[in-house]
Amino acid sequence: MKKTIWYSIVLIAMLVLAACSGESASAPKGSNESNGGGESNETFTYASTSDAVGLSPILMNDAVSANITEHVYEQLFTRNSETQEFDPLLAESYENPDEKTWVIKLKEGIKFHDGSPFNAEAVKYTFDKLRDPATAAPRASLLEPVDTITVVDEHTVEIKTKYPYGPFLAALSHTNAAIVSPTADKKQDLMKDPVGTGPYKFVSWTPGDKVELEANEDYWDGAPALKKIAFKVVPEISTAISMLQTGEVQFIDNLPTEQVKRLESMKNINIEKKDGTSVYYLAFNHSRERNQDADFRKAVSLAVDRDAFVSKLNGLGVRSDSVIGPQVFGFDEGADKAGTAYDVEAAKALVEKNGYGDEPIKLLTANRDNFILMAEIVQAQLTEAGFKVEIESLEWATFLDTARAGEYDMTFLSWSNVTADGSELLYPNFHSDNVGSSNRSQYSNPKFDELVVQSRTTIDQDKRLQILDQANHLMIEENVVLPMYHGIVTTAMDKNYTGLEVDPTGKWSLKNVTKK
Amino acid sequence: MIALIVRRGIQLVFLLLGISFLVFSSMYIAPGDPATMVGGPTATETDLEAIRDNLGLNDPFLVQYGRYLKHAAQGDFGYSYQTKQSVSEAIAIRFPNTLKLAIASMIVAVVIGIFAGLISALKHNSWLDVTSTTFALAGISIPNFWLGALLILVFAVNLQWLPVGGLSAPFYTVDGIKQLVLPAITLGTGSAAMIARMARSSMLEVIKADYVRTARAKGVKERNVIWIHTLKNGMIPVITVIGLNFGFLLGGTIITEKVFAINGVGRLMIDSIAMRDFPMVQGSVLLVATLFVVVNLIVDIVYTFIDPRISYD
Amino acid sequence: MTNAVLTEERMAVVKKKEKVYVTTLRRLLKNKLAVAGLIIILLQIGMAIFAPLIATQDPIKQNLAASELPMFSDGHWLGTDNYGRDVWTRIVYGARISLLVGITAVSLGLIGGVTLGLLGGYYKKLDGVIMRVVDLLFSFPGILLAMLIIAILGTNLVNVAIAISIWSIPTCARIVRGSVLSIKQKEYIMAMKSLGASDFRIMMRHILPNAFAPIIVFATMRMATAILSTASLSYLGLGAQPPTPEWGAMISQGQDYMWTSPHLTIVPGIAIMLTVFAFNVVGDGLRDALDPNMNI
Repeated sequence: MKKTIWYSIVLIAMLVLAACSGESASAPKGSNESNGGGESNETFTYASTSDAVGLSPILMNDAVSANITEHVYEQLFTRNSETQEFDPLLAESYENPDEKTWVIKLKEGIKFHDGSPFNAEAVKYTFDKLRDPATAAPRASLLEPVDTITVVDEHTVEIKTKYPYGPFLAALSHTNAAIVSPTADKKQDLMKDPVGTGPYKFVSWTPGDKVELEANEDYWDGAPALKKIAFKVVPEISTAISMLQTGEVQFIDNLPTEQVKRLESMKNINIEKKDGTSVYYLAFNHSRERNQDADFRKAVSLAVDRDAFVSKLNGLGVRSDSVIGPQVFGFDEGADKAGTAYDVEAAKALVEKNGYGDEPIKLLTANRDNFILMAEIVQAQLTEAGFKVEIESLEWATFLDTARAGEYDMTFLSWSNVTADGSELLYPNFHSDNVGSSNRSQYSNPKFDELVVQSRTTIDQDKRLQILDQANHLMIEENVVLPMYHGIVTTAMDKNYTGLEVDPTGKWSLKNVTKK
Repeated sequence: MIALIVRRGIQLVFLLLGISFLVFSSMYIAPGDPATMVGGPTATETDLEAIRDNLGLNDPFLVQYGRYLKHAAQGDFGYSYQTKQSVSEAIAIRFPNTLKLAIASMIVAVVIGIFAGLISALKHNSWLDVTSTTFALAGISIPNFWLGALLILVFAVNLQWLPVGGLSAPFYTVDGIKQLVLPAITLGTGSAAMIARMARSSMLEVIKADYVRTARAKGVKERNVIWIHTLKNGMIPVITVIGLNFGFLLGGTIITEKVFAINGVGRLMIDSIAMRDFPMVQGSVLLVATLFVVVNLIVDIVYTFIDPRISYD
Repeated sequence: MTNAVLTEERMAVVKKKEKVYVTTLRRLLKNKLAVAGLIIILLQIGMAIFAPLIATQDPIKQNLAASELPMFSDGHWLGTDNYGRDVWTRIVYGARISLLVGITAVSLGLIGGVTLGLLGGYYKKLDGVIMRVVDLLFSFPGILLAMLIIAILGTNLVNVAIAISIWSIPTCARIVRGSVLSIKQKEYIMAMKSLGASDFRIMMRHILPNAFAPIIVFATMRMATAILSTASLSYLGLGAQPPTPEWGAMISQGQDYMWTSPHLTIVPGIAIMLTVFAFNVVGDGLRDALDPNMNI
């Protein structure tokens, strides 16, 4: 009998051994530090709720990956979060000899992390690859207006566009327009092993767990103070907040509205809030007959008390009637209160007169973030006015497909405007070209389309502002969508650190963060 | 016994075929297009078409499934739609964490379960019995995710005795053990309860058995009666429950890994289902199913050792 | 003649059964924990049936001005949630949903499991195939199976019930098959067969009633699992559609407020725990009362 007991012990030991041998194989190269127990090692850790997809700006297209690539790569231009202007980054200066030509001078003496020089050839290589249909880059559309790219000399490129393109600097400052090292790109997969010119160099990536970067000591703008940074995956935001509280992570962003009070009560962190460029709106499916009735949309707009909703966001939302948000190029103060004001009695009257309450409304919503909150509150408010509303909440993948195919009556959509340009909001979301892809409200209006096209092909920024304002007013007056709120960019960081730079688009940089 | 292993091996192959077909077809019918998840919200229909072509999603169902099987038979379980990483590699990174969690939870479950079960049985119908039965049943009645969140609140945030999440430190270090404590308790309580229940009833039965009575009558010391005569025989059904619970634990890791930010196979599974990353879903489900079958095989083998009367031939 | 004998035998079986029920009940009532469980279940059933009388407010009526009220507030003794809905009302109405989902899931699972178990146990030819299907379902982590099914069918409570029911099929099928195998060889069944009774009749009238004890124990315990699983699926965002007052959904929503309004998760958590506990102890008690050697 003893034998059998021993046998069981051996079996268990084998299982344990299997676990531990698998473990050593998976440990990231050269890292034997632990994150447990809260003891301080110098790694500065940021927690996100999902993992990066890939680390090549040409091929990735998600916010989590962007947070990382923004530290490894750089663009020619960058949007100054204070002045909202576009400042040169890797570029030195630019000029427009004519409306369709951009001559860009590059900074000299910059090197990629692999030692190869940053030059006009690298810019051409990157952009050509980004727009090459064979690459199938998800954001190839950024350079869609580009006709030719020519290397003038080692540090000058000339880009010609097919037509005058207004938001071109915005496009060039986009995360996905960052410049990659051509030598590295030919040699390795940048999705897994990125090489750029940025303040941080890639060290390791344990998929599902974390990406580690180290300071680029040769950075052209001075080496960053934080020597090691990590981007860690913590799927549950409550867990991430607890880890922030106990010092297991130092920094999180996108604070959930539900937990603002908790975060504010934590003494070891600093919370930063900044008005952002994202917009969340109630969308009508314009391919449905009922939604084409302007009175119906009006009745819905009258019935939704947006002030009451925004007050539930615990200060993490800006109330404005404008579709183009206050931080987005194209916003004019006049649009702020131009929308349909809340008036439940008027809504009731309309509902009763036209029998809007007879047929139920299918209110589609994604089951994440603030979408459920919006859906539940709007459902209650619409019910109050006499509508019949059924919520259908779907997980993200199914939601995206259902919304794209237009299989709903009303839904909630959002747009985080990475370039902070109004054209970049109106074109993908509401231009009839994009019905069936990103125009999920299936909106199609020739007059509106024309304004949007104009806003894209005009170079004069003042004129663009006017055109965008016109398009904005058109949407507001016709209740094409009902903007629920405009996002606020939020971060929470360990009090021992300062110097975080946050942009209204939600981007942030650890480049100048120092430990107190 | 070799015959047993061979037979189970053959059964396993067919089982895996069945499972892969089930998963493959359910992912195929499920709404939500993998191309949309790859292409992102701005992708046009042409982009999506290109992505679908590229991933081979335009082929008829059986062609796709056949291709998968062919590659799988050669040991190639495909590449993630999202990250292009090889499925085997992705799983190899995460599996040790899941295994660590499952084993640690099993230890918690077995220790608590057998202890509680023994006490209940030995002090049958006493207040100790009632208390430990109540606790055992309360254990299976607590929603996993709820217990996890409460444990984090109390032990990690308020008392700061243990870390909140992660499982990055090696398990043989103090940090590694600390990281395992809360998740293992969260996941282990349910199984502890089931083991306790089984241990109690099977011990009760054995205690009444003739040979134990004889042993007592013969004047064998009470301690030896319990440890040698009773425990050994009472443990046989308990081992089955442990085997079955291992499968239960592997399923339970899905939620525990999410709550405690553990980079394991369970989380890979839900994330991949959410992203419609079919090859990843397939790979991780097949792994879990294989493990389940293998553990049960081990249980059966252990069985034959403990109780020579049992034979599978 | 033979018929008369058979009828007599049947009568004896029936009488014996009646006696079995009485003794079972008596034994069950001796078990203090089981009695406590029974009381909780009865209370819950009462809550579910008389919900509108017990809780006079509307479970989905919002009042944003009075949200996140603490416990023992005026008019809301269990406080209000983040939409200002009365937590007590939602708990009471939630009892309905838990019971409904639980009963639906368990009944569907029983129908599937009993059918497979009967067929597998009775027809040798079908046995191999059916047991392989059962093995297949068995080696699948339950929650994953449920997730796949919900991904296909869509997110709502009916589909949750279906998903959970499938997960109880394999165990139920094994239990029933076991009973069938042991009863099939009994003499009176052989006799019925030789008298030309149809297979269906034999299965329904003679075999199934004998498997009744393990089935009832299984069903009771499955209620517990089903309620718990519904909550887990809700936590993963795959449960009830808002604003349905489902307990699991209440917990997962409340979890976001755990640090500021802990009652929003603790109250529904306790509700689930008590219910699941009750079904578990009653199941346990039933097993002990019916047949302590039952292998469930």
